[in-house]
Amino acid sequence: MISDAARRRYQAIVPPHVDDAYALARWLSGDPADAEDIVQEAALRALKALETANVERPRAWFLCIVRNTALTWMAKNRSKLLSFAGGADELAEIESVDLAEGEGSPEAILIAAEDGERVRQAIAALAPALREALVLRDINGLAYREIAEATETPIGTVMSRLARGRAALAKILEDKR
Amino acid sequence: MKDTDPRQDRLLRLNAALDDELDAAHRVELERELERDPQLRASLQRLSAVRDAVRRHGAPEAAPAALRSAVAAIGRPKAIWRRIPLSLAAAVAAGVVIGAAAQALLFPSRAADPVAVAMVADFARAELSDRPFEVASSDRHTVKPWLVAHAPLGVEVVDLADNGYPLAGGRIVVVDATPVPTLVYQRREHWIALTELPLSLGDGALEAREGTLDGFRLVRWADRERAYVAVSDVDAAELSAFAASFRAAAGVGGGEAR
Repeated sequence: MISDAARRRYQAIVPPHVDDAYALARWLSGDPADAEDIVQEAALRALKALETANVERPRAWFLCIVRNTALTWMAKNRSKLLSFAGGADELAEIESVDLAEGEGSPEAILIAAEDGERVRQAIAALAPALREALVLRDINGLAYREIAEATETPIGTVMSRLARGRAALAKILEDKR
Repeated sequence: MKDTDPRQDRLLRLNAALDDELDAAHRVELERELERDPQLRASLQRLSAVRDAVRRHGAPEAAPAALRSAVAAIGRPKAIWRRIPLSLAAAVAAGVVIGAAAQALLFPSRAADPVAVAMVADFARAELSDRPFEVASSDRHTVKPWLVAHAPLGVEVVDLADNGYPLAGGRIVVVDATPVPTLVYQRREHWIALTELPLSLGDGALEAREGTLDGFRLVRWADRERAYVAVSDVDAAELSAFAASFRAAAGVGGGEAR
């Protein structure tokens, strides 16, 4: 049984962030229909959690639930598709991203950035942990400490993932096709 | 991860500067470095081009409307319907105030039903908008043709002006992908929306039941041809009285021929 107080908190916290939640779920699952399922399930989890949870930063809090729901949902329903965020393969992949500052001029990136589909494919090609950090920062607009909270990772790791994600993306976009 | 590499450190700071996460002291330091170092400036421009590309193209379209309403509905209390016996409805229609007696009539609660949710959402939206109806007229000969032209279901427009509910207009509500006609009656400074639904969208019961959802009152009932839902922010007794008037008027042929 859900109390009225929990419902009131839910209405204040969850529906205003449904676009952000959907964007995150889209990028984590890669599929619009999966994203809808994930957000609905996350909303149910949020309602239950609001019976007891004390929420300071509502958006980061709900996106954390969306993110965790996405991980379990994908593991359960799409296990063949997903290499788990944080798995050994992924760590190796992340480490392999060259953090050199790059020789290229920004022009190549600016030109590639005109092509929205190309940018989306490049984001989709990133390692899940890098993509997740980038989406939370540049699409959801979370601050570093909020990303750290939502992904339950230290802030140094968040910074490193963002730097690597952007470096990898720059490299993909600079590549002539 | 190897975080002793000074080059990597510099890049982390560059990203942090881009994200406005650098404290003032580091910011000054970085600005000095940027002045001296053209390659660092180029790096900053690359990173900012990448960031702008993600911001510009990475956001998917807004959440679908169905998801939006599903998420909103999750937090809503479930609608609770209870039966209004005809005798009581008649008493209410006659202006008798009901009190504790009504509490004894509690009907087992039903699951939140999508019809009630859609009706209340529509009513709340109309309340907030400047145009509570799409066709504004107190003349049923104007309202009916408009509704018939916009919804497949026939509509019974009952004149209740003599009962204190002048017709104000009509609008179309979409319930479960079906456009259904809605009449808007006025009660002092309040609106009462009466929606006529195909029986398939009703719940199979004929008798009038009242409910509350999100602070709005609902009364629903059905006849052999269609189901009805009345929604308003008037109090329960008044809405029941309205429903009783409507049923009486429709039942004794006060309704327009179809």
